Formats: sequence, structure tokens, C-alpha cells
Amino acid sequence: MMAHAASVAKPGFFPRPPAVVRLRMTRPADSMDQLVRQVAERRDRAAFEALFAHFAPRLKSYLMRLGVTPQQAEELAQEAMLLLWRKAALFDPAKASAATWMFTIARNLRIDAVRRESRPPLDPADFVPEAEENAEDGFSRGQSEVALRHALSTLPPDQAQIVNLSFFSSKPHSQIATELGIPLGTVKSRLRLAMTRLRGAMGDMP
Amino acid sequence: MTVRHHPEEDLLLAHAAGALDESMALIVATHLCFCAQCRATVALAEKVGGTLLDVIAPAPLAPDALARTLAQLDAPMPEQARPVSNDNTPLPLRRFLGRDLSQVGWRKMGPKLAYVPLTRRGGVSMRLLRGAPGTDVGRHGHKGMEYTLVLAGGFTDVTGSYGPGDFQTASPDLRHNPIADGDDSDCINLAVTTAPLRFESVVQKIVGKLFGF
Repeated sequence: MMAHAASVAKPGFFPRPPAVVRLRMTRPADSMDQLVRQVAERRDRAAFEALFAHFAPRLKSYLMRLGVTPQQAEELAQEAMLLLWRKAALFDPAKASAATWMFTIARNLRIDAVRRESRPPLDPADFVPEAEENAEDGFSRGQSEVALRHALSTLPPDQAQIVNLSFFSSKPHSQIATELGIPLGTVKSRLRLAMTRLRGAMGDMP
Repeated sequence: MTVRHHPEEDLLLAHAAGALDESMALIVATHLCFCAQCRATVALAEKVGGTLLDVIAPAPLAPDALARTLAQLDAPMPEQARPVSNDNTPLPLRRFLGRDLSQVGWRKMGPKLAYVPLTRRGGVSMRLLRGAPGTDVGRHGHKGMEYTLVLAGGFTDVTGSYGPGDFQTASPDLRHNPIADGDDSDCINLAVTTAPLRFESVVQKIVGKLFGF
């Protein structure tokens, strides 16, 4: 493993043939499976260290390719290895190899990390009720679009601003409020007023 | 009960790669709960991921990374509550909703139709829809893609009949008129619609969003 680590280059964008050859010359995949079993059955720290040496730098490399910063990629790679230690008993080599298992663990960790950063806690009550086009609406979409376009163009500027920011900035209302220097409640009430107006303009009550 | 309509393979691959946004990931993961065939496809794609991981050029960690990880091995394991459903709500959906499907608060859209808005992010919205048997949703087209997963009951449109677990992909050129046709139970769907954002066309996009297209 030491010789292997020493030969490591900076990660490229795609695995290249030499990487495949290098892999074949190092550890066969089933020995990785065996090491995970040793961790599961004996809490074998030496086995864990071997797994760490093999997988952690690869996980970091994989995560960096997804756009994760090197710092966070390193943290997530360590977190993935910690999960390997904790969940080793759940590993089933009949279903997938250790590499596949680690891939799914790292993938899921990254998804969770992105969500933690990008998504505020959601309250469904904050969402504007959506009118589905259906047979009972009684007006054509063409008419309603004209009506809505007109209603939008005549919204008071403070309401139009919040509507635009809400739909297009991908920012939570709280952040919009901070940036505009107004209370969160004001943002929400302006939105409600705007939506009431827009729905009213289209005859789609409430 | 056999699932007859599946997500296209590229969607399953994107799911396996972790490349889907939250709403698409949820609708696909929920479909997987119904469908062994697609689970197999995703498992295969994950194996591809594992293979690529094995041949990737490693990125060395900080010298103390191993020591820091080893130091955490004996820390108590954080409790992770696995969601449990009392009404067979698929677990990914149960986890997302924070409750069972039978416990969500429906909003009336008419005498026979109800919905629950779930997310709206980056031009993608996700909602639950419920129609009583016989409900005619009305003929409509799409500005973006519309993905529909039947959770209970069923519906029929020009493209065929859909039952629990079936996944419909409606592209912008499809105009259809879905009619709920479950025998005695409501048709409950999880639906994701996409409408790519184009900032120069603000009004159009807002119109689309208000109507869930």
C-alpha cells in the first residue's frame, strides 16, 4: 500500500487505463470484502486501517470530482470510513463488493451534505397552494395566462420583488428577509398578498 | 401485482450516481420500493460506481486523517431512527413526509381532487395528488417533464393504464387526460414536474409554476 500511495498522482477527470492496471497489481477486490468481514466479526483495527488506506483517498477523490471542496471531501471520506466501521455487520458481499458498498455510502453522505446546506427546513404551509389545471377550472389556460401576466405586471413593487426573489433566488424566505432588511413576517405577508391578488385576478379562488 | 411502467434507464442511472435532485431522487426511490426490476438496474449501476471508485486516482488525505478517524471508532454510535410505517407507506416517502401517507393533510381542489404541495425548488415541484375513482383530471399538456408514480389506486390515459408502483414519464409533447379508475380506492400519485428556469422569461415561468407545470 505504501508503494501504491507513493505512486498517487493528482486525480484526473476520468479513470485512465494505468489506474486499472495498478489496481490489478495491488489488492484483489475480494480481499477488501474479506477485510470488511474481519471488521464486522472481530472489530479488527488492522483490517480497518488497510481498508482506510485503500478507500479513504479514493472516496476523497470521488467526492472532489462531484464538486465537493477538498476539505469537505476529506471530512466526508472519513465519515464514510467511520460508517464502514459501524455498519460492517450489514455488509453482504453476496450483494455487492466492498467498493460498491463504499460508493453508495459516500454518495449518500454527499447527498445529505448538499441537502443540509441547500435546503432550509420546509414547512408545507409556506408553499403557495398550486392550482392544478382541471376540468372544473372553467377557464382556458390562454385566458388565465393573460390575466396572470397582467396581474403580475401590476403588482405593487414590494410584492413583486418578494415574488421574484421567492421563485428565482432559491433562497429561503429568512435569507431574503435578512438581505432586504425586513422582518420575515413582512416577506411572508407580502407573498400572501401577492398570491391572493394573482389568484383573484384569475378568478381562481380562494 | 406487477409493475408495468418504469422510469427510463437514464433516470435510474442518475439515481444510482446520486445526480438527481431531491424530488426526483424521492420519486425514483419510492418506485424502487415497488419494483424489483428497477432495483436490479440501480444495483447494477451502483456496481459500476463501485468499480469506478476502485480505479479512481486516489487523492491523499491529511497525514493525521487516519489517526483522527481511529480516535472516533469507539465513540458511541448515534441513534438513527429507521422510519416505520403503519400503513405500508414506502419508506423513502415516509422519511420525507415525516409521517404516513394516511396522516398527511390534503387540500381540496374540487369535490373529487385533493393535493399536498411537497417541494418547489429550482423549477421543480413535487406534490401528492389524490383523485376519487372516476375523477377526470382534465386534458392538459406540459411545459416541462411530468413524472407520476402511482402509490394507490390507478389511472388510465391515452398511454395506458397505471396501477400502484407504475411510473409515468410525460414529456412536453404529451397531451393527456388521466382518469382515476381504481376500483374502490382513491388514486394517490406522487408527481414531479420540471420547468427549467429562464430568467429572461419571468412571467411565463411564474405562470407555469403557479399551475404546477
